[in-house]
Amino acid sequence: MSAQEKYQSLLEVANQNGTTYELSEGDNGTLVITGTAPSEEAKQALWDEYNRIDPDFKGGDLILNISTGATAAGGGMHTYTVESGDSLSKIGSKYGIQWKAIWDHNRDILKDPDKIYPGQELKIPM
Amino acid sequence: MKIKFLTVLSLAIALFISACGGKSDADLTKAVQDKLTADNVSGVTVAVKDGVATLSGQVADITVKTKAEASAKAVEGIKSVTSTVTTRPLPVATPVAADPAMTGKITTDLGKAGCTGATATVVGGKVTVTGEVPNAKYAECVQVVMQSGIAGIDNQLKRGK
Repeated sequence: MSAQEKYQSLLEVANQNGTTYELSEGDNGTLVITGTAPSEEAKQALWDEYNRIDPDFKGGDLILNISTGATAAGGGMHTYTVESGDSLSKIGSKYGIQWKAIWDHNRDILKDPDKIYPGQELKIPM
Repeated sequence: MKIKFLTVLSLAIALFISACGGKSDADLTKAVQDKLTADNVSGVTVAVKDGVATLSGQVADITVKTKAEASAKAVEGIKSVTSTVTTRPLPVATPVAADPAMTGKITTDLGKAGCTGATATVVGGKVTVTGEVPNAKYAECVQVVMQSGIAGIDNQLKRGK
């Protein structure tokens, strides 16, 4: 079972509570989840789920690196103006982030991740 | 006369099939595609044959893969779903700083959080945590270490009283 499968329920919790995350692979197949939770409660929910799967956090196969929206705001949001020919994944690659992270931060103004229009101002999590 | 008879017969057959067979594979393909779009699944290609949906492509992570399969199954008229959807290979995690700097940062952060019984040493971007912290502080101390930007962990921390 891959680490993604083992911790799938944790990722589902993140999707449900509005935590944006990116996955990478660390030492020896370790799943590294780096993300931003919208609140302390949301972050705690992730740690609760992690605790349920691995009660002592000793598996060594997951690094859960979640900050909260408050600290992310301190890090600042960048505003990007959509240009003709842009897509969320194209914009994401400019900033080295996933399209999903942009989508999650702009759900208030976007209805469909495939439909963005020139001139729209998107919040880019930095 | 014979031609007319054949026309009527084929029309009758066509009517019969559409009445009891339900949607065509093309209709079902469209329905699955629409459902995937509605559920924010991207990167998945759909093919339907005899009511069996085959999904292929590469998606961001396992939650999207699972959702794609569940979404396709939920479409009325789809008998079963075969999936060859894969998750994209993950980028390699890189530690945010060199080992001595990371060791120093984690040690400082542990101190600030009141995890003074814990000792962290970073080698090759991987941290080894040893020592003992009060049971009530255990989870918080692990969080401090995991939020430091390391790429691997060997957690040998003990729960004290």
